[in-house]
Amino acid sequence: MSSLVQSESLKIRGLFTDFQVELDEHHNRRERLIKHSRDATSISKKVIFLIHRVASEKDQNTGAAVAHAAKQGLEKLSEVKTIFSKMQGDLSEQNFWRYQKNVSPSVQEYIEALSYAHYMASGRLVSHSEVQMSLCSAEGLPYFPLDYQSYLLGVSDLSGELMRLAIVSIAQREHRKQAHDICRFVRSCHADFERWSDVVPELDKKQDITNQNLIKIEGAAYALSIRSSESGTGLLVSPPDTSSAIC
Amino acid sequence: MNQEDIDNIGRSLEQESELREKLKDRVTELERRTRTMTATLSQIHSTPKGECCIVHIMSRLVLSSLRSDLRNCRVTVRNIADVVPSDQFWRWKDLWTRPMQSLVFVATLSRYLENRTLMTLTELNQELEIDEDIKDRFFIPTEDYLQGVITMVNELARLSVNTVILGNHEEPSEISAFVKELFAGFSMLNLKNDALRRRFDSLKYDMQKIEEVVYDISIRKLANSQKT
Repeated sequence: MSSLVQSESLKIRGLFTDFQVELDEHHNRRERLIKHSRDATSISKKVIFLIHRVASEKDQNTGAAVAHAAKQGLEKLSEVKTIFSKMQGDLSEQNFWRYQKNVSPSVQEYIEALSYAHYMASGRLVSHSEVQMSLCSAEGLPYFPLDYQSYLLGVSDLSGELMRLAIVSIAQREHRKQAHDICRFVRSCHADFERWSDVVPELDKKQDITNQNLIKIEGAAYALSIRSSESGTGLLVSPPDTSSAIC
Repeated sequence: MNQEDIDNIGRSLEQESELREKLKDRVTELERRTRTMTATLSQIHSTPKGECCIVHIMSRLVLSSLRSDLRNCRVTVRNIADVVPSDQFWRWKDLWTRPMQSLVFVATLSRYLENRTLMTLTELNQELEIDEDIKDRFFIPTEDYLQGVITMVNELARLSVNTVILGNHEEPSEISAFVKELFAGFSMLNLKNDALRRRFDSLKYDMQKIEEVVYDISIRKLANSQKT
């Protein structure tokens, strides 16, 4: 009885040789992206710490410290942009969505850092198009498209940083007004994102965290109000202005 | 958050959920078709022996009906490809990964039963009319093709047992030779610790099973000639 014909055997070898090349390319590309992603995440985290550090420096008035923090943060974020620019080639056309899950965590971390710096500079939430614009080459071509899910999850993380900032600001006489501003800002973010919490995967969990952060920020703002009312020197902080929306 | 973002994000998310529903409906149609074909194929395990080779074991009628079923999937696949936005294939692919893998399984097993050859990915694409020009919206990724081929090997291991039950003692060694070639092919791949790797590990047990069957036959001198 004849076993497999020789030609079929050769054909199968040939096919798998091609598959080998293709799968190796895919694995290499994936690993490159994951590595870049990890670097981008780590620098973004450092930027966040940097902003915290500079913003809470003593012997400065609030405005100067905050502006200084934003400036330094944005400068350091250009290192992250350099990494993202290196990922451009591996994320073109089809490949963006193929590796989106591998890349998204670092994009979110970058957005968290950028939105923090942006808040310090302007008191507003960085917009989707502003983030996308920051992820473009000098010629204005995007390194890769910024999907709404990554954007929303990234800006959701901002509440954690602002909570830390609000808590620290209680201890520093110069920075007290911040807590009330932050409280109002985070509340309005939470309200804005809520409409999508059931359609964007993972956003509902982030919303829960944002809410917990908001409660802590409210606690900080409350403590400030109470303290300033009994200090006898009059209000150190003007009561929150509810008439103007911040973002 | 500015109003522009609220509007844009809202609109975009709404479009996405509409697209998802549309794709789900079309994938359901594909699933229905592949299930029918899989059911038809399962007859091979109980169709009595004909002449000396497997082509006769399963009636040509069944195989030709599978061929036309496969061709009928062209429209179903095209319907899915039509609504996938350009360059977003990977974004939505999870919805149809399973039925497409079954389709590969059905197609490659039918082809093996017809003439003992491996249907290549290129041939399958031709069969389903998945052309180059829709590549940015639909294609069969190599991983899914390989997953389907592994399912075929799983099924051939079962078949080697069942042909013996039906009195066919020649088939197992044919299957064994074919599966060994495939196994050698898979061994060339540098698999990572992913889904494909786990499925690849199952091939070893299939090989073992088939070899046991061949051994049982040859030690009892049941087959006409022993070449393996």
